[in-house]
Amino acid sequence: MATEPKAATEDVKIDLFEDDDEFEEFEINEEWDDKEEGQDVTQQWEDDWDDDDVSDDFSLQLRRELESNIDKN
Amino acid sequence: MAYMNMSMGEAHRRITDYLNRFSDAVSSQDGASFKSLFALSSNSPFLLSLADAVALFHDANRLINQSDSYSQFSDILLPLLRSVQNYKQGDFVEAYLAFEKTANAFIQEFRNWESAWALEALYVIVHDIRVLAEKADKELASTGKSPEKLKGAGSFLMKVFGALAGKGSKRVGALYVTCQLFKIYFKLGTVHLCRSVIRSIETARIFDFEEFPKRDKVTYMYYTGRLEVFNENFPSADYKLSYALKHCNPQREANIRLILKHLIPVKLSIGILPNHRLLEKYSLLEYSNIVLALRRGDLRLLRCALQDYEDRFLRSGVYLVLEKLELQVYQRLVKKIYIIQKQKDPSKAHQVKLEVIVKALKWLEIDMDVDEVECIMAILIYKNLMKGYFAHKSKVVVLSKTDPFPKLIGKPVNS
Repeated sequence: MATEPKAATEDVKIDLFEDDDEFEEFEINEEWDDKEEGQDVTQQWEDDWDDDDVSDDFSLQLRRELESNIDKN
Repeated sequence: MAYMNMSMGEAHRRITDYLNRFSDAVSSQDGASFKSLFALSSNSPFLLSLADAVALFHDANRLINQSDSYSQFSDILLPLLRSVQNYKQGDFVEAYLAFEKTANAFIQEFRNWESAWALEALYVIVHDIRVLAEKADKELASTGKSPEKLKGAGSFLMKVFGALAGKGSKRVGALYVTCQLFKIYFKLGTVHLCRSVIRSIETARIFDFEEFPKRDKVTYMYYTGRLEVFNENFPSADYKLSYALKHCNPQREANIRLILKHLIPVKLSIGILPNHRLLEKYSLLEYSNIVLALRRGDLRLLRCALQDYEDRFLRSGVYLVLEKLELQVYQRLVKKIYIIQKQKDPSKAHQVKLEVIVKALKWLEIDMDVDEVECIMAILIYKNLMKGYFAHKSKVVVLSKTDPFPKLIGKPVNS
């Protein structure tokens, strides 16, 4: 997302490149605590989601669909 | 016009005040004061009223040449005052051209100052030359001319980088300049130019990465992480973007969001899912159906999600990465079919008829014939997402009895 405020000229479709994902500038002497750093945000990942559980709605519907096919055969 | 309210005397005073601050800062090597003299894009009241004074007074040259303490820096000061004035008046092309002259003259002096006292002023100049160039290019493009100032700013920054790449204390500034260059190259779409400056940072023996300020290391890892995503080098992308995530100021939520925006597709490609709380907190819900599609093995949902947010994903350069998740979704779907079959009849479960997969896909409104499905199964086996072999005549996939669906666990799909 552009970090600068939208000016009137940006409504004109001009042949310029943009980077929507430009990183915001840190202040020159911006500092932050090591302790605060990313503790929460780095622990929001799951690597054990690929289990054998087929009791969710999607899986139940899939099962029903497959069973109806077997009957047809 | 604001400056109509200023008297000539007042204008004279303001300009002289500015010139004095300049020469005082240099003689006492006061970096903090010095940098504020160049901060055009900050729109400080100080510089805005200086602009008025310069416009009113007309003859700043004469003032500069009045005293040795200013005239020795006339190559910096003259164009700088012009730039300040042009900037306020919205003449960005002129402002850029003048600022570029100032910046070049500044670098000459900077090389002669032995200590790193003026490094912060250099940062301001490097930042503002980029910002001014962007505004100048917009102005040029809007009048039908060719926008090439940002490219020129890039060349200047390479020169600055060269001035910092030495043994002295100034070298800690090199990473900031590098990051500004990244911003320029990403904006221009010339990301291949990042390679040479990355090589200088990472392999030249001048620099010790750990010495650089934290804020620059975070920005650097963000951009080099994005480059690794473009190159589909997922383990490396994971390392760099995770570094940026871990060390970024947690209060800078916009930046955390940007890091996650690029890290999530990488994590998905190595079989790791973000939990929903994360997507909610950082407004990245465009990924929620993709995550759900992977969990379920729902190929239709994946394709819908890709279509719904196609524009957004394309602009961030992650579309292709997400599209390739199809194979992992196929794997999950076939695995579910296998588990369902196993629950019904464990003895036959490891044989999966292709026509069963065809029917499951049809249920998902995906029209594929047996041959196409056979092709996909062959790819899954080839890429070690599925273990087994294919009985072509009977159109059956015979799965391995042990671990037929190997998990990725943090490694990318084999190419």
